Amino acid sequence: MRITILNGEPEAASAFDAYLHEIAGRLAEQGHAVTTLELRELDLKGCSGCWGCWVKTPGECQKRDQSATVCREAIGAELLLLASPMTMGFTTALLKRAADQMIPLIHPYFEIEGGEAHHRARYARYPRFGLLLGAAGGSDAEDLEIATAMWARMARNMKSKLVFTAVANRSAQEVADELAAVA
Amino acid sequence: MNSLLLLNGSPRGPRSNSMKMLSRVAEGWVRAGGQAPEVLHLAQRAGFDRAVEAFSSAGAVLLGMPLYTDSMPAVVMAYIEALAPRVAVAHADGANPALGFLVQSGFPEALHSRPLERYLQKLALRLGSPYAGTIVRGGGESLQAMPDEANRRLWARLRVLGEQLARDRRFGEAELKAVAGREHFSPCQAALVKLIFKLPVVQFYWNGQLKKNGAWERRFVAPYGLAK
Repeated sequence: MRITILNGEPEAASAFDAYLHEIAGRLAEQGHAVTTLELRELDLKGCSGCWGCWVKTPGECQKRDQSATVCREAIGAELLLLASPMTMGFTTALLKRAADQMIPLIHPYFEIEGGEAHHRARYARYPRFGLLLGAAGGSDAEDLEIATAMWARMARNMKSKLVFTAVANRSAQEVADELAAVA
Repeated sequence: MNSLLLLNGSPRGPRSNSMKMLSRVAEGWVRAGGQAPEVLHLAQRAGFDRAVEAFSSAGAVLLGMPLYTDSMPAVVMAYIEALAPRVAVAHADGANPALGFLVQSGFPEALHSRPLERYLQKLALRLGSPYAGTIVRGGGESLQAMPDEANRRLWARLRVLGEQLARDRRFGEAELKAVAGREHFSPCQAALVKLIFKLPVVQFYWNGQLKKNGAWERRFVAPYGLAK
């Protein structure tokens, strides 16, 4: 399985970062093609709502940054794992910046899907979504539920599904095995 | 303290739909006797820094934003991260200001914004801030396309919400519901809208821009994979 991991941890030397790399290593050992994007090392200027990716250069952000890498690796994956520590009850602004710049992957036109208005697909296929959250002090079960609900809705708007959610309180091997099982 | 910190969390800055709506709430706030609010744009570096500094001394804070990939824009999350030190004082009485929010989206139904609303309510609780409520409104992108006159009823309702915020530190449920409009489509409406969305005229806003930019022929390209 082709797996792309978006690492939204801003600190390189954190326990979450080490944990995530261990999971990536275990998945690679199992034969999965794993690409980890260290978002903190990418030049991501963030979405400014210009809609150039919808009405000027369809499918491509006009910013001269590395958001195209995020889009290319996301759409090329079968599973897109969003990974981030919890901060103030949600994932980091760093992960959100990358997600905001994924709107070129969908089309501005609306359609009705499952009784709701959603954006039309631009691509023939989209990756399934997974969410890996760092367990932080100050976050409770309700925070996890709310964060999961928001990312599940994004997955739905990206013509996909959130098929995996985990908190970083289990062994890397267990999480890697579970991820492999959703393949 | 009848001071209001008006924070625009739109990545577009001053020329945004969020700001258009926030301005109407601010008019109501002033009409009900509140001081002219300090207006800051989080997308501007100076505005962001000042917003972090001014948070604790404000009487009330109204933070508005567009729904971005089904949650808050990254710049708003960065602001929320910057407020983390205020959690430590959350339980000191009156340490953090009353908090109200505005979330507008391009979707015609309000339901898309509800998970974010839930997050924002929890954020107020986390900060120990009295929660004024969240104004949710769909169809935001059409505000750009419509003349101001066409939005007169919406502006009037937003002014009433501003008055309520100044008077009661809380938005009224009836006005919130009226501004939110349609929560979701009924099965019959969904079937009808499904057909309507297929009419080219419905996409006039996007099609007009695609044509103006010479991008119409390329509107369905898929640069990173196989097109639908």
